[in-house]
Amino acid sequence: MVINDVRKSFGQVRALRGVSAGIGRGELISFLGPSGCGKTTLMRVICGLTKPDAGEIILEGRVINDVPPDRRGIQMCFQNYALFPHLTAAGNISYGLQVHKWKKEKIRARVEELLRLVQLEGLGDRRIDEISGGQQQRVALARALALAPKVLLLDEPLSNLDANLRVHMRATLREIQRKVNITTIFVTHDQVEAMTISDRLVVMNQGIVEQVGTPVEIYEKPRNEFVAKFIGYVNILQGVVKDTSDTNGSAVIDTELGESEIAPGDSRLSRGEKIYIIIRPEAVRIDTGKSAGQMNSFPGSIRSVMYAGSTVKYTVAVGGKDLIVDEYDPTTHGIRGMGERVVAEIPRNVHILRADSRTSSGAPAEGG
Amino acid sequence: MAQARALSRAAWARENATEFVTTHVVNIAGGLLFLLLVVFLLWPISAVLVKGVYGPEGLTLQFYEKFFTAYYYRSFLNTLLLGVLTTSVCITAGFCIAYLTTRGPRFLRSPLKWLTLLPLIAPPYIFALSIIMLFGRRGFITQLFNLDLQIFGFTGVVIAQTLAFLPLAYLIIENMLTSLDSSLEDSAANLGASEGKILRSITLPLLIPGFLKGSLIVYVMAVSEFGNVAILAGRTPFLAPDIYTIVTGIETDFHMAGTLSMFLLLPVAIIFLVQNYFYKDKGYVTISGKPSYAEPRRIGWLILIPMMVMASIAIGLIVLSFAVVFIGGFTRIVGIDNTFTLAHIMDWRANHPLIGSLRVSLLAGLFGAALGIFIAYAVVRGKFKGRGALEGLCLAGFAMPGTVLGIGYLLAFNSPPLLLTGTMIILVLNSVFRFAAVGMEAGITKLQQLSIEVEEASRNLGASTPTTFRRVVLPIIFPAAMYGFIYVFMTTMVSLSAVVFLTSPAYPLVAVFIFQWAQYGYIGLASATTVKVIAIVAICLGIIQLMSRWTGFSIARRD
Repeated sequence: MVINDVRKSFGQVRALRGVSAGIGRGELISFLGPSGCGKTTLMRVICGLTKPDAGEIILEGRVINDVPPDRRGIQMCFQNYALFPHLTAAGNISYGLQVHKWKKEKIRARVEELLRLVQLEGLGDRRIDEISGGQQQRVALARALALAPKVLLLDEPLSNLDANLRVHMRATLREIQRKVNITTIFVTHDQVEAMTISDRLVVMNQGIVEQVGTPVEIYEKPRNEFVAKFIGYVNILQGVVKDTSDTNGSAVIDTELGESEIAPGDSRLSRGEKIYIIIRPEAVRIDTGKSAGQMNSFPGSIRSVMYAGSTVKYTVAVGGKDLIVDEYDPTTHGIRGMGERVVAEIPRNVHILRADSRTSSGAPAEGG
Repeated sequence: MAQARALSRAAWARENATEFVTTHVVNIAGGLLFLLLVVFLLWPISAVLVKGVYGPEGLTLQFYEKFFTAYYYRSFLNTLLLGVLTTSVCITAGFCIAYLTTRGPRFLRSPLKWLTLLPLIAPPYIFALSIIMLFGRRGFITQLFNLDLQIFGFTGVVIAQTLAFLPLAYLIIENMLTSLDSSLEDSAANLGASEGKILRSITLPLLIPGFLKGSLIVYVMAVSEFGNVAILAGRTPFLAPDIYTIVTGIETDFHMAGTLSMFLLLPVAIIFLVQNYFYKDKGYVTISGKPSYAEPRRIGWLILIPMMVMASIAIGLIVLSFAVVFIGGFTRIVGIDNTFTLAHIMDWRANHPLIGSLRVSLLAGLFGAALGIFIAYAVVRGKFKGRGALEGLCLAGFAMPGTVLGIGYLLAFNSPPLLLTGTMIILVLNSVFRFAAVGMEAGITKLQQLSIEVEEASRNLGASTPTTFRRVVLPIIFPAAMYGFIYVFMTTMVSLSAVVFLTSPAYPLVAVFIFQWAQYGYIGLASATTVKVIAIVAICLGIIQLMSRWTGFSIARRD
């Protein structure tokens, strides 16, 4: 499936400003972005509920822009499930089959099969308001899968579930998707959810695509500041390249914290260039002064402590800059106190953004 | 020492009593409200029905026997048919128009809506007047096309009642359609269902509670609001005008009136029970999650065109009726002497009843809205048993045919200690208790949206229950109160069925006067006075609208 330069405006609001992406057969791809970035509009365009102003939706080599929604072979699972409240679970699942005039016995067999698939055996006769949120979610999924569509669209399917159930349903969803081997587009604003569930991610912002890639690519090599912030990076240091060395491929950067030596990886830096260094919170190490004076180590003091069980999140004030640091396993390391003097060490291997790559949309980047 | 202890004990008791009142104030108020409803609804209704089985010699079925003689029995069947036909057409047309105003072409939505609601501000029997002036023997259209129409009889009555009560059906269905989650229809379309299939399998089944509620209200109005019926029925008998004749005629017979009331009430009671008990648990609301704000899909031509035809006929007739009544108010004698005159408009006979009606309606609106809101609060926030009964009783008052409640008041309040016959109070009370349910329902909806925590927060900050009610709850349910006020006010201005039994020369009501003038054939005077009523109601609504904009209080039903 190919989405080619799709545009859509509602009056003055340009919801989609040229979105392109390719999706492979059997792949689970997530469209990730803050609310209002155009994800839901894109979903409605793909399944035919909204007409695009320009651009093409191509499925199996055929442009399907003018194919009516019910002949596209694309099924959408709505954010609020949109289950028919006057029908039972089985009645909901069989609705599409009845519409397509399947035989009674075939419908019954198919519904049984689907109920088994989503682990709701025996609950077919329940009314929709008699089953739990997670079960409703699975009925919605079964209903969407009933007609064996080519593509499944899931619009924030887990946003109505509580935190624990959400993690559980994430796994269930992925398992079912693999079992049926259906091309799936998953829409969400939750980056953790998107990363754990998907083969690939499409990060969207203000109607355009910021970056496409596997979860590892997106997390380790965000293409711009927006993606970096949205995916959870909080430490972005401005700097100017002071010196480059060809012997070990490292460079010395004059940053807001002070001078630091980094390995820029495959990006070539030239002297005097302005860059951004982005550092994951878990990559910063803090200790109580051993490494003081070493390269990449900067003295500072702890400004805030947030305990979260498996990690402690510290804000460390270094000069005029706050660094966010995650330290794992506080049970072993202990919890540092407020105002404690520490030394923060940033890693050599970091990801680098050029100064001109704040966002693709030209819009101000706001962290997610 | 002993004195000090006694003092402190008194203080303690007083404090305890205060505390008791504070915590139980809602329950106590609920009990008082229940008592009020028993006195002003249950007692009058029972009084009527008992008359039907209790003759001078004790319990008897002789009146029921008499009922089954040819005449009354035919009257009953006619009434049943009238109710069923009117209701079916109203629900169908109301649905078509509501579908168009929620999913149809954008530019049509607002005009369609306001034109459909137009009959609400006029007396229902405006349509009897307009039908006579349009299709009567000397009617405009009859003469224009040289037709030979027989409008007096069943057809005329059904057409008039349908046009009069279409807005009620429309309002209820439109409300339901707006709150229907459009993603349900999207999702059915996504599964391959055609427009027609979506309508049949999703939209219509989900609207059943709305259809039932609409049917109940339209049916009650169609069989009991007998202005149109009495004017247009000719020789065809119907129950409500029969009751009117029996009660106000030369040989007043309350026993027979009681029996007829029973049969007027029976079908209503059946719909009421089906709606409130059988279907109560099947009220479908959005199951979970956020509602979808997506614009509903466009309607296909195959559905759009029949609906447009239906809507055009109904709205065309409504507009034509208003126009012709307006013209009639300024015409010497319609059909005979079609010259312009101001005589009808200047006729002094209309002034006194107009002022009387306005006074009664304003009072009824005020107290009706207040009563409705108090009951709503007691039902939603009270913790006493019988909350359901309180709500049900209030609704039953609304579902009661006005004719029955009118006679009930006549029977119940004509002796001490509650000797109210011939006073203005009885007119106000009748409307208040008959229509309090409108404010109550709106209030319940508002209160259910307001989480109890908000009130608890106020109480937690030290405010007492009455203070909390005044400072926190009242501003939030103000729109509901306003809605209740408008409904009670408008309906009291134009309704006839109950007050026709209670009005007295000292407190004349305009609805009764117009009805009588129309019956005697003073079409011009009746039309001119109707125009005045419409103008007064419209002006009052305009003032309310201005006031609400001025004070910032919204009168919208949903926000």
